[in-house]
Amino acid sequence: MSIHIPILIIISPLLAAFLVLLSRKYKIILATASIITSIVFVSTLSSRILSGDKVIYHLGGWRGPLGISLVVDGLSFFFSLIVLGLGLLVIIYSIPERRYGRTYYFLLLVSLSSMIGVIYTTDIFNMYIFYELLSLAVYLLIAYPKTGVTLRASFNYLIMGGVGLSFFLLGVGFLYAMTGTLDMFHIAGRLSAAFDSSMQMVIMSFALIATGMGIKIAVFPLHGWLPDAHSMAPSPVSALLSGITVKIGIYCLIRVIYTVFSAEIFLLINSHNILMVLGVVSLLFGASMALVQKDLKRLLAYSTINQLGIVLIGLGIGTELGLTGALFHVLNHAIMKSALFFCAGIMITETGTREVKGLSGFGRQQPAITFAFIVASLGMIGIPPINGFASKWLICLAAVEAGYTFLVVIILTASAIAAAYYFRVIQVLFGGSLKQGPMPAHEGEQVINRGNLFRSWPIYILAAGCLLLGLLPTLGISLVKPAVSLLLFHVVP
Amino acid sequence: MTPINISLLVFMIGLYGVMSKNNLIKKIMGLTIMNGGIVLFFISIGYREAGLAPILEKGTIDGTTTIVVDPLPQALMLTAIVIGISVTALALALIVKIYSKYKTLDIQQLSKER
Repeated sequence: MSIHIPILIIISPLLAAFLVLLSRKYKIILATASIITSIVFVSTLSSRILSGDKVIYHLGGWRGPLGISLVVDGLSFFFSLIVLGLGLLVIIYSIPERRYGRTYYFLLLVSLSSMIGVIYTTDIFNMYIFYELLSLAVYLLIAYPKTGVTLRASFNYLIMGGVGLSFFLLGVGFLYAMTGTLDMFHIAGRLSAAFDSSMQMVIMSFALIATGMGIKIAVFPLHGWLPDAHSMAPSPVSALLSGITVKIGIYCLIRVIYTVFSAEIFLLINSHNILMVLGVVSLLFGASMALVQKDLKRLLAYSTINQLGIVLIGLGIGTELGLTGALFHVLNHAIMKSALFFCAGIMITETGTREVKGLSGFGRQQPAITFAFIVASLGMIGIPPINGFASKWLICLAAVEAGYTFLVVIILTASAIAAAYYFRVIQVLFGGSLKQGPMPAHEGEQVINRGNLFRSWPIYILAAGCLLLGLLPTLGISLVKPAVSLLLFHVVP
Repeated sequence: MTPINISLLVFMIGLYGVMSKNNLIKKIMGLTIMNGGIVLFFISIGYREAGLAPILEKGTIDGTTTIVVDPLPQALMLTAIVIGISVTALALALIVKIYSKYKTLDIQQLSKER
């Protein structure tokens, strides 16, 4: 039993997904139970992973380049923990809304299980298949309310995502042409020989894969789909998209850079500078676009582009400190942004408007939710006792250490702009009395139990997580440490 | 023109279609053409001049080497075709819904609607 744990983590939500379709009554219990089962399975591995070991599972007993293997090491453990933890909270948050039927939970579970599939698999073509499965489920989740705007947002995402994954697959084709294998660890072994003979093919495949993932991460020139998709989707789905799904693209990018292409080739073809430039551009672009948004969820969506820019800068610096900061910021952003989208969901259903200025007075009516919103947005800005500060600080330190002092100036400028747009929202929250406007068309016909525990508890948990990671950053860094030492030194700490 | 160059050309034609066409159906056609380019690319990687199907029959191993085509890309492309079909099906379903809401498939007009 214990050797089969990696595959059981993927199968448990997938099995529950199809059972959910069959049962009308127990759909929520099944969904929650399957995710909790997966979390229990992951936590049985935690002591081995955190001590620097890794768990490899060969599917069907076929080893090496022939079969598909699942690997749980520092990096994949870290990302699967984010996916499962936030996935559970997303499911709990969706419970009170009755309009979410069986297909909603089916799609949610399929997307979560394929995310873990992307994270664990070592076969690069299998990664593509899981990613495409994840994307299909996510397109449908965005279009779930079946209103005009959501259908359009979903279609735009489908086109962009389809093009991105086609680029990724073409890059995989180039890799296979050079090395004759699809297992990432075996490709890495054979690629350095291929690099000497056919350098252009290696650069081509890296460029194709990086472009494909760039569309999925929504770096600046390829971000077109993100604001619509993230803001028009139902609020729990927005939290899922912004908190987790985008992070899967970052995981693939890190995995491909460090495991397949190895850090040496990465530095040799100068792509760390490209990542850094893209990071800076999307940082400034996201921040300045968020500043002018009137729609609350659209503001949060542009803020995602802003924060992912910081992660890319950390990856581009590429030193130990920079990577630690980048991965820690991935965790922090996942927590903060899901908290903000959960809060935005409650604000929109309570006030009946998506406009920022329609929120005035919400702060007096629901102080607890507002407090959580303020905690998370202070973290986004990067104000000391909250977790966002710790990771931004690490990235700034890394930038100074590596001699890129101008990056610190840019990050601080973007933080100042972030402060401007988040403080604008907070100011409105404590403004005049609450006006009950009409429900917007696409949020209509939902039945909400006001003050429901299931909706507010995930927010409190996430806000507590923000404070905890901010006060004790070593807690988060100890989670990131095995991943960083795996990436940079290929050894256990 | 090697088969690989042609396949990349087909890929680029598909990309042009996705990027420049205003009609939603034509965008999906572009996506399908891109997919076709990728299939052609993988198949031409695995192609060997005068290669046979990679089937090992009893008694054929007699010391002489025979050239066989690489079966792995073909197996991969069966999967990729199936995935491409599901993406196309989902996209067309979305298009049907969009058309019944807006009565147009032109992306310029759709972006004006609120």
